[in-house]
Amino acid sequence: MATLSIRDVRKSYGSVQVLHGVDIELEDGGFLVLLGPSGCGKSTLLNMIAGLDDTSGGDILIGGRSVLDLAPKDRNIAMVFQSYALYPTMSVARNIGFGLEMRGVGADQRTRAVEDAARMLQISHLLDRRPANLSGGQRQRVAMGRAIVRDPELFLFDEPLSNLDAKLRVEMRTEIKRLHERLGTSIVYVTHDQIEAMTLGTKVAVMKSGYIQQLGDPRTIYERPANMFVASFIGSPAMNFLAGRLVPDSEGVLFQASGVSIVLPTRNRQVGSERPVMLGIRPEELRTVAENRASIIGEIDVVEPTGPETMVTVQVGENAIIARLPPRFAGRRKEPIFLAVDPASVNLFDPDSEQRIDI
Amino acid sequence: MRLNKRQFLVGSAALAMAGRIGGARAASAISYWHHFTSQSEMASLLKIIGLFQAANADVAVTQENIPNSEYMAKVSSAVLAGGRPDTAMVIAERFADLTAMEGLIDLTERVNGWEGKANFPDNRWTGLSSNGVIYAVPAFAFVDWMYYRADYFEEAGLAGPPRNFDEFLQASRKLTNPSKGRYAFGMRAGAGGFKYVIDVMEAFGSPIVKDGQPAIERAAAIEAITFYSDLFLKEKVVPPSAPHDSYRQIMEAFRTGQTAMVWHHTGSLNEISSAMKQGEQFSTAPMPAGPKAHVARVAYAGNGVMKEDNIEAAWRWVSFWGQTDAALALLEGTGYFPASAAALQDQRITGNPIYNAATETLKFGRLPNNFVGAAGWSENVVNPAFQSVLTGQSTPEQAVDRMIQGLEAALR
Amino acid sequence: MRALGELSETRYWMYLLLLPSLALILLVIAYPTLYGMAISFREMRLTRPGLDGWVGFKHYLAMWSDPVFWIALKNTVVWVAAAVVLELSLGLLAATALNRDLPGTKIFAVLILLPYFLPNVVAGHMWALLLDPRLGVINDLLVRLGVLQAYKAWFADPNTALAATILVEAWHGFPFFALLLLAGLKGIPEDLYRAAAVDGAGLAAQLRLITLPMLKTVIAAAVILRVIGLVNSPDLLLILTGGGPGDATQVLSLYAFQTAYKEFNFGYASALSVVMFVTLMIFAAGYIRISRITKGQGDD
Repeated sequence: MATLSIRDVRKSYGSVQVLHGVDIELEDGGFLVLLGPSGCGKSTLLNMIAGLDDTSGGDILIGGRSVLDLAPKDRNIAMVFQSYALYPTMSVARNIGFGLEMRGVGADQRTRAVEDAARMLQISHLLDRRPANLSGGQRQRVAMGRAIVRDPELFLFDEPLSNLDAKLRVEMRTEIKRLHERLGTSIVYVTHDQIEAMTLGTKVAVMKSGYIQQLGDPRTIYERPANMFVASFIGSPAMNFLAGRLVPDSEGVLFQASGVSIVLPTRNRQVGSERPVMLGIRPEELRTVAENRASIIGEIDVVEPTGPETMVTVQVGENAIIARLPPRFAGRRKEPIFLAVDPASVNLFDPDSEQRIDI
Repeated sequence: MRLNKRQFLVGSAALAMAGRIGGARAASAISYWHHFTSQSEMASLLKIIGLFQAANADVAVTQENIPNSEYMAKVSSAVLAGGRPDTAMVIAERFADLTAMEGLIDLTERVNGWEGKANFPDNRWTGLSSNGVIYAVPAFAFVDWMYYRADYFEEAGLAGPPRNFDEFLQASRKLTNPSKGRYAFGMRAGAGGFKYVIDVMEAFGSPIVKDGQPAIERAAAIEAITFYSDLFLKEKVVPPSAPHDSYRQIMEAFRTGQTAMVWHHTGSLNEISSAMKQGEQFSTAPMPAGPKAHVARVAYAGNGVMKEDNIEAAWRWVSFWGQTDAALALLEGTGYFPASAAALQDQRITGNPIYNAATETLKFGRLPNNFVGAAGWSENVVNPAFQSVLTGQSTPEQAVDRMIQGLEAALR
Repeated sequence: MRALGELSETRYWMYLLLLPSLALILLVIAYPTLYGMAISFREMRLTRPGLDGWVGFKHYLAMWSDPVFWIALKNTVVWVAAAVVLELSLGLLAATALNRDLPGTKIFAVLILLPYFLPNVVAGHMWALLLDPRLGVINDLLVRLGVLQAYKAWFADPNTALAATILVEAWHGFPFFALLLLAGLKGIPEDLYRAAAVDGAGLAAQLRLITLPMLKTVIAAAVILRVIGLVNSPDLLLILTGGGPGDATQVLSLYAFQTAYKEFNFGYASALSVVMFVTLMIFAAGYIRISRITKGQGDD
């Protein structure tokens, strides 16, 4: 059964439409990540699920029941905010138990629930403090405690890690994943960080300009992006794009561009009709080879060793691409470099529509 | 605000000094402080300055208008911290305070050598002298009288204006008709109302100060306060707004027809004449006489010199106000009565019947009380004490006791 | 010159740099304050130049047995407390409304500030006319609405005079609170209200648990500023009632003003002012302590 169904949900402010008919189903216990740059509509969608914002059309169901007419408090959800939104005048314990307090849960039961949640988040020693006296990571834990103590049907996370420093962010990310696996409650999680999306989500919705660009599991989205936007938004360094043509070849079709010639195996010979395409290659799929086996020939521009790997910027014809090579790569600037790529790992896009082409 | 008062005083004095130095270009420039405010008053003042400068080309007069309510605060600040003007307007009620703070300069010798002195009978000087020393030259007079609605009187079948308090009360009862929103008497008990409270006390035979000592006679004063407050409390011949009614309100009430009688002085004639027809709708009469005395004030206002620097030019300016030309310019513009006996003979006064009541009053009218602290006691003690009788917060006995105590404190 | 260079390396240098401001403070604040206090122990009546001299606590003892002082003190407390409570409530209401960012709120924000732009004197005369027993529009409206039988002389009745002046002051002063509270409201994260909505806290609970605590510092500062302003400024009452009828609206600042500038009794007026000064200091210290605005919000 689906915990959350979003059906043709729309939102407009006056004549400006910010969401254009969004459809998402989230299975029980799933982890949905709404991913996209700022202004893509992901936070608006989250607020509409929470009931903090009205819909302009469509329906939202939680646990199989439409919630459009319900106030946020009646939707059986709990939310974690980017700014944590802890009540400054209350102790940590009361902050965590406040939702229960408002729902008339007895003091004893409340105390037990708060202590359980605190133990799970390892903040039992902080229960008497005020939010002002907590570190950022501690506040984040309290905010999560406030959500889990309610044992709702659905958790909503609004960019919960973006106010933390890099190290803490990684730590809390793991914490959230552990929590999800332990509690098994469905989660909707908004972020603009593709790593969070990849690591946490069981389902990722990549959004842009009020449209869902692609909805799927992280692996698919990474390996088979639906369009150039998704391809470039996911992955760091970003996917390399090379403009070229497809021509027929004995083994399938041949992708040709200045300094590039890659054979793509296919039975569909019709694609190779001299059509212009964009070729997308993930930097980690490139490897150095001997000159006679190279499918990409270029000139080294910049070499950036990072420790576990070396990033090499290569000038290929008029394009610059990045290759993620082993740490001991020894090339120098201005030297020629010979690269090859596994044809199965490349993606083709239509240069006009920017949509994926499957061959 | 108290914290930097002295700072403020010193600062403002410095500014005033700077202004004086800057303006000292003419052979002789003098400053003049006054509390004329209305358009007609200002126009008349400018006309007098014009007349003066036509005759005294070497003296330039810079006039500065100060609102009446702030006048004494400003003058006392100037005395305390420096920055006095050369000359200033002095009304009778403020004369004692001004001389007590040594704000005015002795003009006795100049007055005695002045040919215009003969135009001013002795009583003109009394209010502007202290211990035989003359401090100011009389310029104009406010003569107390009563305005009444001639048409209302006729309607009520009254033969003429009341001559004494008994008739005043009888007439008041007939003239009052609350269902029509009409009341007989526009009592002033808000700001400035103390004047009539004191007048009624004296009319019932209680003096205020004698030989510099408090002299209120308790029994007579209580009788007076009872009579006067009963007009409001018991007889209800006075509008219910009386405890807060000041000059603007009593005039408003009279002009709009809410009241049939109002006590004031000649200075408001222009204002009332512009709203109603003289003789037909309203007329003037002397103040009614009390059981023990017929009290109406004749308050001479004059101009004094506040510092020696330009005494010669200053003297010429203040004495110019005593000349008939200046007095009549003021009369024409504002209706303010001349102080000079010569000017009173002018046909513009003798030929106008509306002035008869004032001419009559000049024969028996008395000067305002003139003792140090009079203004403070009147405003800060008499006014609230009488108001609290009207509002039922105290009895006439308590009010009179408060007045007596306040007066003793003021004179101590 | 070299000595100066060496001195500038030491920590005494900063004290030296503070000297000019210290001198200015002494001259502009300390001296007038102390001078004013000194006057309160002297006989200083402008109209009695001969009486000048030290009189110790004479004025303070006189005050103790001066019934007008006690009335004025009581009226001051009532006037200031009622006006501040009204202004704070109205200000909070206005600020909350303006914080919604609905269309038109910008124009409304300017309109709502208008009363505060008016000088006390202008506002006073305007309201004197609005409430006038003969010409007043307010009376006219109330009679038409059937609230009143006939025009009422608001300032002539001791039962309504103080209340009427309080309302006028509230009208005049609430934009001050609205402005400061609006600035405070802008600083409250929207997420707090959204969290409260999800938690199921109603409007009252949101006001009590979020808005008021978050505005605590602003409210405390605004209240202190306003109380000081109200205690010290007699102008509105001077215009509307002059302290009357009787002493129904007499307050300390007005009493001190009248004593100084009508009776020219600066000694007694200074003593009254010193009492106001000390009372305000005690109030401010106590208020700051009660509202605990000097410590961090988490420490209380």
